[in-house]
Amino acid sequence: MSLSSAEESSSTPADGGSATDPSHGPPPPPEQPKSTWTRRLIILAFWAVIVTLGWPHWVFTTSIHRSDLPLESMNRWADGKACQLHYPLYIGLAWDDYDISQVQDLASQVQSLLSAENDLSLYDFYIIADATNAETSQRATLLAEAGGELRGHREHALFVNVIADPSAKSTSASLRTWRPVLEVRHNPGRTVDSTTLAPFIASEIRKVYEHEKDAISHLLKDTPFTTSGQVEALSPEVKSSLDARRTRAFKYAATYHLTFSLFTSSASPSAWEAEQALEESISPLLDRLSSISEFTVDTQVQLLASFSPSIAGPQYNESTQEWKLQRTDLSGFVNAAEWPLNPGIGSGPTINFVLFVPSEDQSPLVLAETGGNSWLIPQWGGVQILNPSGKQSERLSAADLRPVMLTFADQLSALLGLPDSPASPSLRITSLVRERATSLVLSASSTLGALARLSLKLTSIAIPDSVAKSVDETILRLDEACHDLREGRYHRALENARTAEGEAEQAFFEPSMVGQVYFPEEHKVAVYVPLLGPMAVPLVMAALKEFRKLRGTKAKVA
Amino acid sequence: MKTLNSVWAFLALASIACAAHTSNWAVLVSTSRFWFNYRHLANTLSLYRTVKRLGIPDSQILLLLPDDMACNPRNAFSGTVYSNADRRMDLYGENVEVDYRGYEVTVENFIRLLTDRWEEGVPASKRLQTDEGSNILIYMTGHGGSEFLKFQDSEEISSWDLADAFSQMREKKRYNEMLFMIDTCQANTLYRQFYAPGVIATGSSEEDESSYSHHADNDVGVAVIDRWTYYVLEFLETQVTGPTSDKTLGDLFDSYDVGKIHSNPGVRWDLFPGGEQAGRSRRVVDFFGNVQNVEVQGNQTGVESLKEDLQGLKRLVQDYQAFAAAQESNKTEMSDVVQRRNLEAVSSGKIRQKQRHTVGKLQLSENAQWARQVAGATVLSGLAALWYFAPKLM
Repeated sequence: MSLSSAEESSSTPADGGSATDPSHGPPPPPEQPKSTWTRRLIILAFWAVIVTLGWPHWVFTTSIHRSDLPLESMNRWADGKACQLHYPLYIGLAWDDYDISQVQDLASQVQSLLSAENDLSLYDFYIIADATNAETSQRATLLAEAGGELRGHREHALFVNVIADPSAKSTSASLRTWRPVLEVRHNPGRTVDSTTLAPFIASEIRKVYEHEKDAISHLLKDTPFTTSGQVEALSPEVKSSLDARRTRAFKYAATYHLTFSLFTSSASPSAWEAEQALEESISPLLDRLSSISEFTVDTQVQLLASFSPSIAGPQYNESTQEWKLQRTDLSGFVNAAEWPLNPGIGSGPTINFVLFVPSEDQSPLVLAETGGNSWLIPQWGGVQILNPSGKQSERLSAADLRPVMLTFADQLSALLGLPDSPASPSLRITSLVRERATSLVLSASSTLGALARLSLKLTSIAIPDSVAKSVDETILRLDEACHDLREGRYHRALENARTAEGEAEQAFFEPSMVGQVYFPEEHKVAVYVPLLGPMAVPLVMAALKEFRKLRGTKAKVA
Repeated sequence: MKTLNSVWAFLALASIACAAHTSNWAVLVSTSRFWFNYRHLANTLSLYRTVKRLGIPDSQILLLLPDDMACNPRNAFSGTVYSNADRRMDLYGENVEVDYRGYEVTVENFIRLLTDRWEEGVPASKRLQTDEGSNILIYMTGHGGSEFLKFQDSEEISSWDLADAFSQMREKKRYNEMLFMIDTCQANTLYRQFYAPGVIATGSSEEDESSYSHHADNDVGVAVIDRWTYYVLEFLETQVTGPTSDKTLGDLFDSYDVGKIHSNPGVRWDLFPGGEQAGRSRRVVDFFGNVQNVEVQGNQTGVESLKEDLQGLKRLVQDYQAFAAAQESNKTEMSDVVQRRNLEAVSSGKIRQKQRHTVGKLQLSENAQWARQVAGATVLSGLAALWYFAPKLM
């Protein structure tokens, strides 16, 4: 542009005479082709740099890296189509002193009875007649529960030990406390063959698993993992008790941190033999629960702990000569501001157990409504009041703490979500394993679905590669967990489901996936116009002028 | 244990029947700094005191204050923050826990807080650890405009960001119901873009309207409270007197008086399930107070059965150990012999091995040092030669 005007202006002084009348002067000589081509090359050079270097550079630096997520498989898992949940339960049957053919006969009868009434379509029972001694096969299963590999035996959920007891008045069944054994005693004099025994055994087995079946139906009820026909409706009481258990218990975590705290209102007692008491009462329980989660235990003592100012405080009751604590004070009893609780110990929730010893002038301190001295705070922990007795020394001995620790153990099992029945605690633990594995599979699937929806809706956030990797790992683990559930390997299913859940959470809560995701158009204009405008205007104008000139000369030539 | 749990379940039933949420959280954000924005911090601190009074513990309150008015050198009453010219109640002096202070209050941190996308190692006191049963109260105050809110005079958050953050919270089931309150100029525009269900939003002024401060304290020197917040607090202090108050959100929003507030506050109901009717019947303490279903333990029989259970468990553990020991001894006797032989061999050669190990270690380190020294000397001499000979060559 400037070149052509320079040429035009340089041609006029050579004219001479009619400088006073520039409009009627002789026309400027035509541009030499060489200079035209130079000009065109220069403009082309500028545009070539813009197109080959500038524009790709801008695209590269302003594009958001979004790695590919397997959206179809994520949505399949979220819609429940990727896994058909099914729980096979292998039940061993042993009948001492009878030969194997009779035992097998009984087993097949019980099996056919259980499969006939197929309202438990999620659960499948497989009755296996055990030729070996019932005791050793039980022990093998218990070892397997404790974490070892089970060699040769399938992981049996329950053992039915049929004992011929001549002194039994009628056929009865009872669950052994810490072993998954259902003992059935019958009188061989009365029940000679197996046709009367089989229905009894079948109904007992069904009773054992009834609560668990209800719990799992409740879990799966509103999720897309089951069709409406599979899950039967529950009665309102059962539903509300299951809801209460769910709101009371902590969410599943691979590690729980337990803290036991002693808060003393006055200066004494100032120490407690917590380690010994914990060793006696809590450690055995934690050992058994170690197949589900890990536990760490911490203890602390705090003296001169005062009440929070927002609660009314204990009131003296003349008639019973006791200090009463009202129910409304219970939720604010734990003075969150002054009492050092809720620390960040590590990953995993903290379950706090508080033992409060009131001062001499405020004891005995009891709860107003029940006269008891302990309560449980859902998803937080438990509180207990220990009233100082006359012979209180500076140190609370393990004997003093024994009843306290028992109550804490009880509260702990409630806070972990252990179901109420069946009566045997070891069966309850295995039922919790199944429930937790199921809920983890559900939660990981819904997280995958949420992540898929998120990636589609928020198109301007970056999705790093680690997210794609975590999603792949999650889907792999979910497949394995589903497979394990269908095969009856519940502990491995729990492990896989736990890993799947961890990876899914990691993918969804990726810290670099946040950002101010919205830039309105006005902002973009306001940034780019002053930046690129002064540069773009001359280039665009030059290019347009050249195009017009090119078309003009072509018209002339044509 | 069974009867015990049923007693608990029954009591839990009784208390759960009224409240569908299981915990309460509050996120109180002030977004302005500088002394002349004293009233924004006073707004936030008064809400903080109210929420604490009604029972929410500090561990469930996230307080974001970008500036420190109490220790500001311009504060004539240092160490205090007042929201009223009569200076009867100090909002700051004791028992206050600020979770985000100063320059930590940024848009990015706020969105991270809402969506819980943190790096490793962020402490629990800075996180909003809610679950699907939590009711959340979010209160924001500061300077704002049409569909944006200014943070610390240097950045802004737009209503779309907030809407997206809330929808992400909904996807991950991080709240049961949410009450969003905002006191800025043109506040109602900020909740215009929300689309996540379960949110009731209320603001202090319409588009193109400013929100005004209520009064100034002549000794502090600046305005100490905003109008809308002042009248909301008046309602909360006079009518919602305790954690069991029955006043509803409908009562709260009906108490808005345009003549006193000098701007048109608004409420948004359409995202709430059940619409305005359901929203109006929610109690104020469902968002401002704290629900905690405490389960009281009644009888002691459960504990007795647990004692038996635990004793049986101890016996079982002993059985385990005996059985495991028996298994191991049964395995092979060869392995035992082999092990014994290994032990002997190791114990005899142990001392020699140790010496060799330590000698070896010393030698290695010496070697490395010497090599390094040689390399260093070579480089130095090379450079010196270059310096000396290069001009001669040129």
